[in-house]
Amino acid sequence: MILFPSDEWIKLFKEELNKSKKYEEVAGDWEGDFLFVISPDEELKQEVIFYVDLWHGKCRDAYLVKNRKTAAFTFKGPYSNWKKVINKELDPIRGLIRGMFTLEGDSKVILEQTKAAQELVNTASQIPVKFEV
Amino acid sequence: MGKTIECHFWDPALDLESKLDFTYEDIGNNIELKKPVFTVDSLNKIIDNLKKSRKEYLLKIDIPTVLNVIEKVTDMWMDPDYKGRRIAREVLPTVTGFSLQMIESWGFDHFMSILRKDNLPLFGKLQPEEYKEFSELGDGLVKAYGEVNISHSNFDPSVIGHICAGNILGIAAFEMILDKLIDAASWIKVPSEEPVFGALYAKSIEEVDPKLAYSIAILPFEGRNTEVKELLFSRSDIVRATGGEQARVSLTELADKHNIPIAGHWHKFSFITLARDYLDEERASQIAELVSLDVTAWDQQGCFSPQEIFVELGGEVDPLKFSELLADEMETTSIALPKGVNSGKMQVLDGYHQYLKKEMMGDPVKIFPSATHQWLVIYDGTTENIEPSPLFRVIRVKPIEDIMHIPKLVRPIGQFLQTVGVAIPNNRLISFADAIGEVGATNIRAISSMTLQKPWEPWDGRFPLNELFELDNIRWVSISTKDIDKEITKALEQKRSIVNQQLPIDDVSPSEDSTRKFQ
Repeated sequence: MILFPSDEWIKLFKEELNKSKKYEEVAGDWEGDFLFVISPDEELKQEVIFYVDLWHGKCRDAYLVKNRKTAAFTFKGPYSNWKKVINKELDPIRGLIRGMFTLEGDSKVILEQTKAAQELVNTASQIPVKFEV
Repeated sequence: MGKTIECHFWDPALDLESKLDFTYEDIGNNIELKKPVFTVDSLNKIIDNLKKSRKEYLLKIDIPTVLNVIEKVTDMWMDPDYKGRRIAREVLPTVTGFSLQMIESWGFDHFMSILRKDNLPLFGKLQPEEYKEFSELGDGLVKAYGEVNISHSNFDPSVIGHICAGNILGIAAFEMILDKLIDAASWIKVPSEEPVFGALYAKSIEEVDPKLAYSIAILPFEGRNTEVKELLFSRSDIVRATGGEQARVSLTELADKHNIPIAGHWHKFSFITLARDYLDEERASQIAELVSLDVTAWDQQGCFSPQEIFVELGGEVDPLKFSELLADEMETTSIALPKGVNSGKMQVLDGYHQYLKKEMMGDPVKIFPSATHQWLVIYDGTTENIEPSPLFRVIRVKPIEDIMHIPKLVRPIGQFLQTVGVAIPNNRLISFADAIGEVGATNIRAISSMTLQKPWEPWDGRFPLNELFELDNIRWVSISTKDIDKEITKALEQKRSIVNQQLPIDDVSPSEDSTRKFQ
């Protein structure tokens, strides 16, 4: 079991994503890096930021951000909502529309990539995790 | 026998047609409206089926699928030969009292064209702390007023109810679309004054994607039918309602009783503000052209329709002269978009006689009447105080020393303020918007577009999608454009296209001409 969120988790996520033929297929035309920002709430004390560089169906880089970092898109939400995504209880695109997550970057581009987003979630959900709380 | 129009819609697999009684109301012109007489059992079946459709289909499809359905449905309605639009064209003038031209041009050509997938408000929740000053959103600006105080939160509503007011065509379509974007099943009480369009629109969704359509039920019932409302409220996660004061009192009480949130949009007051900067010899008549469209649209029946016009002193064209220009333009615009059968002739005459007396007694008043009582422009220099209009295209023009005096004048009715149509230059607009937003206005729009809400704009201070999840006490104020000059230039082209398209080109009378385009 790997702790979520942690640098270990995001590195394993990168490995798993690069093994996924399905992700490679559905995200073939995707170009853009992300900051996934996990905001503190009742269950998480400090903000955690992952950097994930996604490029044509592959993950070129992924790590826990310790210093300042910018990316084409910033997808941000409270820890409790990230847990729902990791547990496949919440589609991140739907979470975005409902205001459970916020996005900096062109939302129309993201909304066209729902299949890729679903595969990101499918991959994340296959990693056995233990949560902060 | 004339045409029978069904005002209801639900999944035909429920087979309620054979089980329910129906009423048939003759509304004239060989049109009768068919409405169901609901039973508790039938409504329970409808709601159960909405939930089933949501679970088995709506929750399983992705957002692009929903967006594509919306796009296809809009394509269909934009085609004047689409059968739904043909039925609407035949029936809605009789049902609503609006003219055919108003329904076709302002309703379908303009309102429906907004319902494009690229326009839809999919930007999620905005953070109020990032909008403490007017900041970019869509092609305009928004600002957040107030502090967050969440009174309701549910990010996964399964059934949303809608009670639509009858003064504006098309609200039901907007409600259906928004609910599908958030995976909610919908019941929609269509207004008694216009019970037709909702079912026609739902049927057009059914043509494209029946399973999606079956997460929608269109329920025409009388507002006074407490039994039906009780049941529907008891089985909904949230209800959004539009209506007047009576509706506010009764529906709020009902929502409290069933402990469900209500997103209410009640009685509002809107007006126009024209800055002296636009009142030079060249532009004043253009501004009058655009203002005439706001006064004419929906015969001034909308909450966003202007009831007064404040004209700033100090321009080359003074408020009295502007009133005259406006009267000229009202005549032209009324030929293109004539009044319907609900002409409000009494209201126009009332306004006329009331102000004629004042004019005769030497008050600083001048009336500019229409020969056929289609409209009435009143220059009223007696008071700056804001007053409600008799509506039906009766509009008062009031001189004002400085537009920055207006916020203080309208403060007493701040909670009722909604749309302010403006022609104020960019360098003065933000300070005006800051002040009028502080008082209570929520939508600042370029003149001529007061009745055309952009999908990204908040509605009475709340974003229409977000308020279905959360009521947070933040009041959002929008300015419909980042560049008022460009918006006015664009609006002028649009306005002239409407007028040129409709104006008679020979001696054909307006009423005869009105059929030309649509034959």
